[in-house]
Amino acid sequence: MNSGIEQPEQTAQLGETLIEVENLKKHYGGGGMFESSSVKAVDGVSFSIQRGETLGLVGESGCGKSTLGRTLVRLEEATEGTISFDGTDITTLSGDELKTWRRNAQMVFQDPESSLNDRMTVGEIIREPLDAHDWKTKTERQERVLDLLTSVGLREEHYYRYPHQFSGGQRQRVGIARALALEPEFLVLDEPVSALDVSVQAKIITLLEDLQEEFDLTYLFIAHDLAVVRHICDRVAVMYLGKMMEISDTEAVYADAHNPYTRSLLSAIPHPDPSTSSHRITLPGTPPSPRDPPTGCQFSTRCPAKIRPEGYKHVDEAVWDAIERFREVVRERSRMSLSTVDRLKRQLGSFSAYDDIDETVTDLFGDLDVPTDVSEHIETAAGLVKEGRPADARDHLNDTFNGACDLKRPDFHPVGEHNHMSYCHRHESDYEDVTPVITRRTSDS
Amino acid sequence: MSDTTATTTREELTGFERVPLRTRIVESPRPFLQWLAGLFALVAVEFGTYATLAFAMVERAFVGVTALVELLVGAVSGSATSTVLDIQAAGSTFLTGLTEWAGSLPTLFGRETIPNQGYMLGPNGPWKGTFLGLEPALAWALRLTLIVVYALFVSYWLFRGWKIYRDHYRQADWTPTDDMVGRLRGHRWGQFGILVLLLYLSMAIFGPALGPTTVEQNIQSSYSHEIKYYDTEAESVETVFVGEANFNSKSKGSGENVGPMTYDNYDRFHPFGTLSNGRDLFTFLMGGARITMIVAGMAIGIATLIAAILSMVSAYYAGSIDLGILTTADGIVSVPRLILLIMVSAVFANHWLGNILDGGFILALVFAFTTWPLLWRAVRGPALQVAQEEWVDAARSFGQRPRTIMRKHMLPYIVGYLLVYASMTTGGIIISLSALSFLGNGLGISAPTPAWGRAVSLGQSYVATSSWHISLLSGLVIVVLVTGLNALGDGIRDAIDPETESAEAEEAAAGGGA
Repeated sequence: MNSGIEQPEQTAQLGETLIEVENLKKHYGGGGMFESSSVKAVDGVSFSIQRGETLGLVGESGCGKSTLGRTLVRLEEATEGTISFDGTDITTLSGDELKTWRRNAQMVFQDPESSLNDRMTVGEIIREPLDAHDWKTKTERQERVLDLLTSVGLREEHYYRYPHQFSGGQRQRVGIARALALEPEFLVLDEPVSALDVSVQAKIITLLEDLQEEFDLTYLFIAHDLAVVRHICDRVAVMYLGKMMEISDTEAVYADAHNPYTRSLLSAIPHPDPSTSSHRITLPGTPPSPRDPPTGCQFSTRCPAKIRPEGYKHVDEAVWDAIERFREVVRERSRMSLSTVDRLKRQLGSFSAYDDIDETVTDLFGDLDVPTDVSEHIETAAGLVKEGRPADARDHLNDTFNGACDLKRPDFHPVGEHNHMSYCHRHESDYEDVTPVITRRTSDS
Repeated sequence: MSDTTATTTREELTGFERVPLRTRIVESPRPFLQWLAGLFALVAVEFGTYATLAFAMVERAFVGVTALVELLVGAVSGSATSTVLDIQAAGSTFLTGLTEWAGSLPTLFGRETIPNQGYMLGPNGPWKGTFLGLEPALAWALRLTLIVVYALFVSYWLFRGWKIYRDHYRQADWTPTDDMVGRLRGHRWGQFGILVLLLYLSMAIFGPALGPTTVEQNIQSSYSHEIKYYDTEAESVETVFVGEANFNSKSKGSGENVGPMTYDNYDRFHPFGTLSNGRDLFTFLMGGARITMIVAGMAIGIATLIAAILSMVSAYYAGSIDLGILTTADGIVSVPRLILLIMVSAVFANHWLGNILDGGFILALVFAFTTWPLLWRAVRGPALQVAQEEWVDAARSFGQRPRTIMRKHMLPYIVGYLLVYASMTTGGIIISLSALSFLGNGLGISAPTPAWGRAVSLGQSYVATSSWHISLLSGLVIVVLVTGLNALGDGIRDAIDPETESAEAEEAAAGGGA
């Protein structure tokens, strides 16, 4: 997508694109007759990684960042899209070709307790990739393992030890040595330090940096710790619900985030200086199920800068918040399926299981001054829910309150220097930009 | 090896593993040679027994394979079958000759060295023909004790072999096996299981020498053998056919009974008394041990192998392959085992397959076929758990072959569960096998080959009489083995999984395993 665009500063030195991902999708299930709709773990992602750089991938748990990483090393089959590695589309590789390619891309796993087989010695673990690929002679393999042990900061005599004789940090070093054994160009680091003590984290990060320099490695660094990402990554990609929200150079993202989601993530970083005034943007609710993502922007259900429909300009912030919360409640209800008895009751008109929706309405709107054109729709929806037809209520609310964000997927807009891209409707000229909207809305509440 | 010292150089490290075991032994051969000499001596004193067993097994296998070839060739041309049959006959004769030759070799604890069958020269002795002129009971007890001690010592020596390997030749100074052995050392209930298994294995191997008489002489062809005894009425030494002596030594309640630890009227000692047909119960049970251990061992071996492979396949590939195996397993489990056994026994009654191991072979196959789904189900869970581990993903990510992943990264973690469930399931197989023999009527091991269940069945009518020993003692033989196998399973489970160590704390837990 951006291979033609000139790469600035630090990534320019090593030049060309190593990995080019286009419209990558990874969906689970949904194929069979008995299964409901598929889980869209990764839902149309495009980006590229330059040779020698470290791309950070951040996002909440369950946003699909690990799945993306696993798909890049072919631990998962892509449902759609292409991953071109040095010009080859690796999603179509199989058999011997795949095995040969695997030498180029390796993975470091999150949990060092689970990533090493306890019944094998450290030497055997690190040597196994070499054995699997019949790498040179047996003696050379051993020499290589000993070299690797030294490069990752272990001692050669650890060769005959078992993993459980090591600490978490040392085990992670073994995992890194194993990943390096086949001299890969590209490493997926799947939260490599999040299972470790803070004191050890720094050492492993430093080790990873040193190794990158020594062996000219390209990293995809998956993490949820934003501070670590800022420290180690050249560029950062932010993911939400299987979609890439923003991607740019690290400093550009941290200093000048354009996407509302990135802004709310960054606002969660504690500031050491108490005098700095910063608005903490608290996202309401939880991410929607990846089985049933919103039709429009993935983030639309929680977005602090959501575009509101024309005709409701007079409605104030608090009421809008309540409307969005109410829509979420109705959406959750519509996802539950009714039992046969309840369906029968619905037919007979004696359905009462959802009567508690009234309480929700009172909770949300009780203290507010709700304009009548809003409250009538809310009441209609609540009535539909009580009748046992939350799906209809959901549709009714959609028809009434849907704005641009709910209706269609945004485009990935270029928003600044350094190939800065962001996934938001507000980058279109028709709408107000993100920053003033967020400032206004958060300062009100 | 302890290698924390700074003197460890890289050359030593790399060099060490390149050295194959043989070279390592050549470098410091003393401990190995000492052990080997011991083993050699131990084998040599009982060489005849082992050789007989080995040749007999080869002969059986040869007959089985040629029978299969005959069947296949027969489908193509009729004339070729006779050639195959000739080869079979010739090979069988040759191997039987070898077996007989091996059987004639003297052994240190054999019947020839320590004979217990003899007769009195007068009303109060002395004994003729027994070891050192001891009375038969003592001679037999001496031989039995020596053989049991010998068998246990051989087992110890094999264990010692592993210890010598660990202390002198193994490269790693610690492996997970060490901990398992260590935990088993403090596990009395598990040790009881091991002891029971060793005793029964010795019965299977040394059975012919353990009994006061032999299956051949006492049971299979009793009218081809004659014995001498002191006739108190005629006041002289007489000769009689074993069959005739058996006929007059029946245990049939109060009227005529030869109980445990008594002599009959023919100067024969019966440690467990006689059967209702006058045959020696102890000899009968020893003979039954061999066939039971072979059939149960074969069945559980095949079942475990199938279960291990399929559980790893279903855990690794999951999805529809798993579902397919699941369906197959459920289908097999839904077939009532006893009915299947009865049907198969009936169908193969006159087939060559039904005659291998006196019908035991086909039974072993049926047991294996009906047992693997249970084992598979038990092991599938742990296998699925291992398949989820990240080291399996790691191995996949560098392109390791699925077969190697299963063998290296999954099998070591499920083999313990397999052992536990296998040893516990074997008890069930033994009971089923005995049940078949108990039912009789062409089921189970065919007569006259001894089978435990048949002994129980023979004594059934005399349980409430003075001939209670027939059913009770044979039943106990079965119960002890099954209990021992359960104990062994418990022991292995606790040894493998340190988290269940609480069960090891007191022998009170023993009740749960039986």
